[in-house]
Amino acid sequence: MSSRSLWRSVQTQTRRRLAVAETPYRCFSCTRQAQAQPPKPTADEERFTHFGFQNVPESQKESMVKTVFSSVASSYDVMNDMMSLGIHRLWKDHFVRSLNPGSALPSREPAPSGRGWNILDIAGGTGDIAFRMLDHATNINHDAATRVTIADINADMLAEGQKRSLQTPYYNTNRLSFLEGNAQSLPSIPSDSVDLYTVVFGIRNFTDKQAALHEAFRVLKPGGVFACMEFSKVDNALFNAVYKQWSFSAIPLIGQLVAGDRESYQYLVESIEQFPSQEEFRGMIQKAGFLIPGRGFENLTGGIAAIHKGVKPLN
Amino acid sequence: MTRPTALLTLTRRGLCHASSPRAALPLAPRTHLRQPQSQIHTTTTRPNNRTSTPRAPQTTSPTPLRLSHSPRTYHSDHHPTQPHDYTNSQTTILSAALHHVPAHGFSRNALTLGARDAGFLDVSVQLLPRGEFDLILFWLASRRGLLRSKVESDGLFSAPTSSTTTNPSGAVRSVDDKIQILLMERLRMNAEVKDQWQDALAVMSLGENIPLSLSELHALADDILNLAGDKSVDASWYSKRMAVAAVYAASDFVMTRDTSAGLRETEEFVARRWADARAVGDKLTGVRECLGFMGSTAVGLGRSWGLKI
Repeated sequence: MSSRSLWRSVQTQTRRRLAVAETPYRCFSCTRQAQAQPPKPTADEERFTHFGFQNVPESQKESMVKTVFSSVASSYDVMNDMMSLGIHRLWKDHFVRSLNPGSALPSREPAPSGRGWNILDIAGGTGDIAFRMLDHATNINHDAATRVTIADINADMLAEGQKRSLQTPYYNTNRLSFLEGNAQSLPSIPSDSVDLYTVVFGIRNFTDKQAALHEAFRVLKPGGVFACMEFSKVDNALFNAVYKQWSFSAIPLIGQLVAGDRESYQYLVESIEQFPSQEEFRGMIQKAGFLIPGRGFENLTGGIAAIHKGVKPLN
Repeated sequence: MTRPTALLTLTRRGLCHASSPRAALPLAPRTHLRQPQSQIHTTTTRPNNRTSTPRAPQTTSPTPLRLSHSPRTYHSDHHPTQPHDYTNSQTTILSAALHHVPAHGFSRNALTLGARDAGFLDVSVQLLPRGEFDLILFWLASRRGLLRSKVESDGLFSAPTSSTTTNPSGAVRSVDDKIQILLMERLRMNAEVKDQWQDALAVMSLGENIPLSLSELHALADDILNLAGDKSVDASWYSKRMAVAAVYAASDFVMTRDTSAGLRETEEFVARRWADARAVGDKLTGVRECLGFMGSTAVGLGRSWGLKI
């Protein structure tokens, strides 16, 4: 009985926190960003967007997301492991293997600069995917020309990735570069210049997903591939019930215990809930102009995550 | 550039046999029979295609190419045809990739080279989610279409007797003979990629690929019987298709190890297996008739004893 009452109190606490719009952020690392929030919008006609279950002005979402990820940057991997029970590593391995980055065959390009793939990893701050892709290209396809640009909106996440890149053979080579920028507009990246555009567990945090898809379409070469892995909708009703219980009660609790930051993890699960279903998101990719290969998405672990792909057509 | 384009038209023509029936074939069927390897092999040595005009626009048609499993003359809502919906880009890559099959096998490398030839990037093979299995399926479906077009527009049966049959030319062929001719014709197409075909069979037998491989095999058996003019409407409709499928699958294996000239061993194998299948069929019919006769005798006997049967 006591456990049930504890359970209930946790749940009501969660709800109460939701209702309070401006909860002070408690973790030390994010106090600065929290204080430096932009001023409230004055105009009534400002567009609103989701931030978890809250509706916030579009202008504010960017900084709010930034605050969340600044606060989780250092404990990012530990938290991912605890939330997904380590499965996220398998998903990421599968994602990279299915993309098979790097050319096993000798390139037909005469210029050395044109050889290999030019990969853009959006929202890949900690370098999880980037290092895997470089490893795959080097070790499996023996392609030492493939290069990755890691782009992230959040300087703290990028710093974490740069720190981790010290441990890899790609540190300080021209195969790995970092870029701080917003995926909705990447002016420093020329049009038709990227072979493969990946965004893994990032696109649900974007303020305007469609704009980001259009920008991806712009930077990709004709024939280039947009690949995205994101939390999605579970297709089995029973499994869905269990999964929802886990994500809404356990994950914020783990966040509180491990990272001392409940709100950030509450936001994570709410943003997962708000993300469009597989079919809707496929429609958005199609709307941006991409060709959809086959069914267009692949469910992982019953739909907890899904891999979406799109190919930019030739002219 | 003429030869690859010729093969391409040949392939595409085979695919859309229903819509483009009676155009002249660039190569006569007999020529094709005598030089089964030449068409594909010549194309692998041709120079880099990237500098020339990309192939994509000329093969692009407004509607996506549809490779239905069995071309039907009727429509049913309850049993919709399971289509292989390849888009234009997919068809372009796959057609180009077929040229690289003799050298690279049914592999990702062949797909990558095909994508490069078609003006795509290495990464564009993501258009084919099943990878090399898509290439194999495309090969099967396109050769099946080619077989149909050979019969319907090139008069495979009216051509002077090939070595396949012992029938004198001019005589009306029986359904059984036609089935054997079609089986051999189809096997000869696979002989073009004989060295790579065992790998392809291995890929087809992987667990996740078995359902599609079997449905493609069924579609082939269905086509062969349809083209041979089989008119059965009873249970033999099923047993014949199973027999043709079994004979074809077994002969496919034999073909991959056949080194004799003109696939003579395979031909004999097909003839023996088909004779076996017919013998088994005859025996079964005999047993069924015998049992039926005995049953009716028993009923008559019972009635004569006064049982109310």
